[in-house]
Amino acid sequence: MVEPPSLTVERPGLLTTVQDAGRRARALGVPEGGAADPVARRLANALVENAAGAAGLEVTLGGPALRFHADALVSLCGAPFEARLDDGPFPLWRAVVVRAGQTLSIFGTPRGARAFLAVRGGLHGQEVFGSRSTDLRSRFGGLEGRALKAGDRLSWSVLPPVTPPHAFVGPDLHTPTGPDLTLRVLATPEATPDLLAALCGPTFTVSGQADRMGVRLGEVVPAPHDPTRVSLPNPPGAVQLPPDGRPILLLSDAGTHGGYTTPLVVARVDLPTLGQLRPGDRVRLRAVTLEAAHAALRRRERALRGVEAALSWWYKGA
Amino acid sequence: MPPSLAGAAWDDGRMSEEGRTTPPEITPLGDAALVVRSPLARELLADLMARPLPGVREAVPALRVLTVLYDPLTTTPQVLTANLAARLGGLTGQAGGKGRTLALPVTFDGPDLAWCAGRVGLSVTEFVRAVCAAPLEVAFLGFTPGFAFLTGLPEELKMPRLDTPRERVPAGSVALGGPWAGVYPRETPGGWRIVGRTDAVLFDVNRAEPVAWRAGDRVTFVDVTDG
Repeated sequence: MVEPPSLTVERPGLLTTVQDAGRRARALGVPEGGAADPVARRLANALVENAAGAAGLEVTLGGPALRFHADALVSLCGAPFEARLDDGPFPLWRAVVVRAGQTLSIFGTPRGARAFLAVRGGLHGQEVFGSRSTDLRSRFGGLEGRALKAGDRLSWSVLPPVTPPHAFVGPDLHTPTGPDLTLRVLATPEATPDLLAALCGPTFTVSGQADRMGVRLGEVVPAPHDPTRVSLPNPPGAVQLPPDGRPILLLSDAGTHGGYTTPLVVARVDLPTLGQLRPGDRVRLRAVTLEAAHAALRRRERALRGVEAALSWWYKGA
Repeated sequence: MPPSLAGAAWDDGRMSEEGRTTPPEITPLGDAALVVRSPLARELLADLMARPLPGVREAVPALRVLTVLYDPLTTTPQVLTANLAARLGGLTGQAGGKGRTLALPVTFDGPDLAWCAGRVGLSVTEFVRAVCAAPLEVAFLGFTPGFAFLTGLPEELKMPRLDTPRERVPAGSVALGGPWAGVYPRETPGGWRIVGRTDAVLFDVNRAEPVAWRAGDRVTFVDVTDG
């Protein structure tokens, strides 16, 4: 049996996990998971002709150093991380050939929090409920349900060799990164006029409590306390208001149900931006209508599909 | 040890006239979800799983609530609302699903056991007997993998939640909170009153069916405190 191509983790980075498009098993209490910046995940995969939901590495704030044991075609999309291939520069937002024996080192980023590294062929990992995403809290999926550590070995599937395009993804499709960001939100039936005014207007600061489950804001708003509120399913991007009044913006690894007041939900189009928030960023919440949210999502999707189609066309013709 | 299957299944007869006469309430939640409030929520979930609607990504149950996550690029809330209302209109209110019966072995030695018994004026032995006699049912799954919201506690056994949740509740803790009983599948924070613990493995990704229970299952706690 032939060993699949692989890489070794020389330095794991701050929090590097295997992620893909996530799972759909909320009805069983299983969080969605998946890359926190799904646009970066789609574009990184398209750049190396992977399916949009192929598994790759999500790097957080400080990236890993990866030594490749086989030739590979990779791409890194997301926050503007510094990266080097051996001693040379490693550009983001394009397909890059890595040779066997080379080391890709990803360092920090001045803005934003996350990037997605795609490897042509897709990374292997434990598949649970149809996804290889790492669930850190329940410890399953990806690589033993945990973040990478030094010495880990990751492998991927062999695809026929190709000539990568020289094109790169333009900045208009890069997910916005801080330090000043605006998230479009929709009011829920739990949003009283007072709550809306308190949440949509002031500038909030992202606190140190920011992980793949959620981002806590530092400031306090007057929170209604309703001990009788029953647990309800959390939609992606739900903005919860616990009794202490510090809002929590829920990310992909959040629990499926929650008992706290949920006055707002972040518009789907801005979920990638939510995934790029880091401690210290300043964020404003701007209420929009359902129609405006959908129109913005459709505009972005047209642009994304345009890039995906162009890359697919290149690979089919090359 | 997983919860044992004690065989019998029986019809869920609760959804009688109520389901057919209450008009469904369907409201948006953000720009990619609709909330359906109906006594037929669980039956609607089964129907959507058997016959998926275009654009529906997932349907997530709670008590008499079904949250439907949709793809706004594939369908619109108007079309989906009409489709869901039509589906609800076609449900009989009878087929709530045939639940299994699970017997969960519980060691009653939790830190809140004496407090709970004292609150309702029972001895610990009488309290444990009453909890084990309660006809519990899995209302829905959620919160964390393997966690089930169990309904069916008699009024006098409903316990107020802790004012300040514990930061760490050990895996396997059996707890009462508000109208619910539940078992924490793994260590998490938690605000319910812990009355006991179980060795049952409620979530294991290596099993064919990773989650030990399904909505509609009947559950009884079996006292194994003395071995």
